[in-house]
Amino acid sequence: MTKRLIGIVSALAVLLAACGGSGTGGASNAPAASAAAASKPDIKVGVAISLTGVGNAYGPAQKNGVQLAADRINAAGGANGAKIQLIIEDDQSTTDGGITAFKKLVQQDRVAAILGPTLSGTAVAADPVAQSAQTPVIAISNTGDGIVGKCSYGPCDYVFRVSLGESAAIPETVKTVKAKLNLKTVVLMYAQDDKFSSDGFAIFKKALEGAGITIKKEIAYSKNDVDLSGPVTQAVAESPDAIVNSSLAGPAIKVLQEVAKRKPGLPVIGGNGFNTPALAASAGAAAEGAISGTAWFIDNPSTENKDFVAAYKAKYSADPDQFAAQAYAGLYVLLDALKRTPNPNSVLHDKLKAQIELTTGVKTPLGEVSFNKDHDVTQKVYVVQIKGGKFTPIN
Amino acid sequence: MLEQIYNAVFVGSIYALFALGFTLVFSVLDILNLAHPAIFTVGAFTALFVMQAGVPAPLALVIAAVVCGLLGVLLDRVAFAPLRRRGAPPLSAMISSIGVALILTRLIQLRYGPDLQAYPAGSVPSGVLDVGSLQLDGLRLVIIVVALALMVGLTFLVRRTPLGRQLRALAEDPRAARLLGVDVERAIAATFFISAGLGGVAGVLYGFATNSPYSQMGLPFELKAFTVMVVGGMGSIPGALVGAYLLSFGETASLAFLPSELRDAFAFGLLFIVLLVRPNGLLGQKSPDRV
Repeated sequence: MTKRLIGIVSALAVLLAACGGSGTGGASNAPAASAAAASKPDIKVGVAISLTGVGNAYGPAQKNGVQLAADRINAAGGANGAKIQLIIEDDQSTTDGGITAFKKLVQQDRVAAILGPTLSGTAVAADPVAQSAQTPVIAISNTGDGIVGKCSYGPCDYVFRVSLGESAAIPETVKTVKAKLNLKTVVLMYAQDDKFSSDGFAIFKKALEGAGITIKKEIAYSKNDVDLSGPVTQAVAESPDAIVNSSLAGPAIKVLQEVAKRKPGLPVIGGNGFNTPALAASAGAAAEGAISGTAWFIDNPSTENKDFVAAYKAKYSADPDQFAAQAYAGLYVLLDALKRTPNPNSVLHDKLKAQIELTTGVKTPLGEVSFNKDHDVTQKVYVVQIKGGKFTPIN
Repeated sequence: MLEQIYNAVFVGSIYALFALGFTLVFSVLDILNLAHPAIFTVGAFTALFVMQAGVPAPLALVIAAVVCGLLGVLLDRVAFAPLRRRGAPPLSAMISSIGVALILTRLIQLRYGPDLQAYPAGSVPSGVLDVGSLQLDGLRLVIIVVALALMVGLTFLVRRTPLGRQLRALAEDPRAARLLGVDVERAIAATFFISAGLGGVAGVLYGFATNSPYSQMGLPFELKAFTVMVVGGMGSIPGALVGAYLLSFGETASLAFLPSELRDAFAFGLLFIVLLVRPNGLLGQKSPDRV
C-alpha cells in the first residue's frame, strides 16, 4: 500500500527545438499564420514531460505553459518568420520513459532543442542522450543537484536550466526574514520521508546556522501524517521567534492551520512548497503572514507576468502555477537564442548552444533570465509574504 | 501535556472512523476492500461538489454518506459479486478492489486535477471552545463525537438488531446463513452500504478538518487502518477502536520521549510487541465468530 506513494520530488520539463522541419506548425497553431511564416520551415522543439506517473502533478501545467508560449510566439511571427512546432512526449515520470522520449525526439524528430524532462531523477538519465547527440536541453523544472555544471555522467555543456533551485532561494529567504523579523530563534520542522522536503531542511539548516540564528529544536514528521497537531504543539512549546517548515503544500497547510490555532501571529517561514494558490485557499486566514522564497509568484506585477497570467487564464480558465510559468519562460529563452542563430534547422546544434549561452536578461514572467557559466539560471529571488490572501514581495 | 492527549484522541478517532468501514467488510466477507481509501476520497469530493453548488455543510455530509453508501453497493455488484458467484479466492477480490480504487482516483483527477482543493470560503463550520487552559477546535470535537457515536451505533447494530444477526450468521458461514433463510445478497449489500457510507463520512469530516481534499487523500490512511485492524484483531469492531487509539497514543507519546525521526519506529515497535504477546490482536479471536 505504501508503495503507492503520493511521492513528489521535484519536477522538470523538456522542450526540444527543431532541426529539420517540414510540418505546418504546432498542434494548436492558428492556421492563419502570416505569409512570411509559411515561407520558412518550422523549427521543431521537443518537450518531454511527465503526463503520467507521479510527475503527473506537474506535467499538465507544463504542457499548458509551453503550449501557450508556442501559440503566442507563432502568432507574433515565430523566430524570424519560422514557426515553432512543438513535439510533446510523455516521459512517464521514469528514467526509462525519459530516455525513450529523448531518443525519439533526437533521432526520429531531429528537434533543435528539448525542454524537460519533468523530474530531476529522470533528467540525470535522459540528458546524456541529448548531450551525446549535441542537442541543447533546457531544464524547466529540475531543481536537484547534478543537472547542470558538474554532472556525474561526464560533460553536460548542452544542458541549461531555467528552474531556480531551493539552494538559491532559501538562503535569500533566511537573509530577508532575519533582517525583517529580527529573528534569533526558530524551530525547524520538515517532512523527513520526502526528498524535496528533506533537501530543503538541510539547506534551511545550513542557511540558518550561517546567519547566526539558533535552531531550538528540529522536528521531523511524515508527509503521510494525517494530522500534525502533535508536532506543532511541540514546536510552539519551545517559544521560538518563528517556525520554519520544509515540506510540500499539503503538510504546510496543516502546519499553518495548527500554528494559527495555538499561537496566532507566530511567523511561519517555508520553502517553495508554500508557493501555491492552494495554500491560501485551504489554510485561509491561517496562511496570513506566511513567508517563502520563490522563483515566481502569481501576483508579480511585472508586465511580462501580468501578460502571461492573463493569457493563461483566458486560454485555460485556471490560474497558472510555477511549473507553467517556468515552462513558458523556457520556450521564450529558447526563442531568444533561436532568433540569433543563423540556421536553427541545421542538424549541427553547436551554434544554437553558443547562442543559448549568451542569454542575458531575457524578460520572462520569472523576471530577467540569464545563464551563468555553469548554465544555471540567474534571476531575482522573490521573498513573498501572504497578505490578504495574496503573495506580496517583501525584499 | 493535556493538549497532546487531546491531539492523540483526535488522531485516534479519525483512524478509527476510517478503520470501521474497512473492518466491517473484512469481518463479514473476509475481503480486504482496498477501494475503501478511494471511497473515503469520493466522500470528501462529493461534499466539495455539492457545497460549490451552495449546499450547506451538514446536508453535504448526509449527501456524501448516501452517495458513498450507494457507491459501495455498486462496488460490490461490479467488483465483488461476480467473483463471489464463481467462488474466487479472497485475494482476487482484493486485486479487484485495487482496480476500482485506481479508477475512482483517476476519475476524481479528471474532474479536479491532482492538486489540493479547498471548500468554498466560510462554508466549513468552525469555532473554538475554551476549556480551562485548553483551546479545543470545535470541528475536531465534532469529529471525535461523531466517531465515537458511529462506533457505538455500529456495535449496537451488529449485536442487537436483526440485520446484525444476519451479518454475524453470514460471517460465520455464508452457506448455513442461506439455509437458515438469510437473504445473503441483501445482507452483503447492507454491509457495503454501511461500510462505504462510514468511509464517506470519514472523508468529509477529515476533508473539513484539513480543508485541503486531494485525489489521493485516502492513501495515508490505508497503512494506518491496516495496522489498527491487525493490532486490534482482524475483523473486530471494538478491536479497531482500541487499535486506533493505541496507535495514535503511541505516536504522540513518542514525540514527547524520543527524537521525532524515530516516531514511527517507536509506534510500530510498540504494536509489534503487542502482536508478539497476542498474535491474533488485542481483541481478536481464532474462530470466525468475530463480528
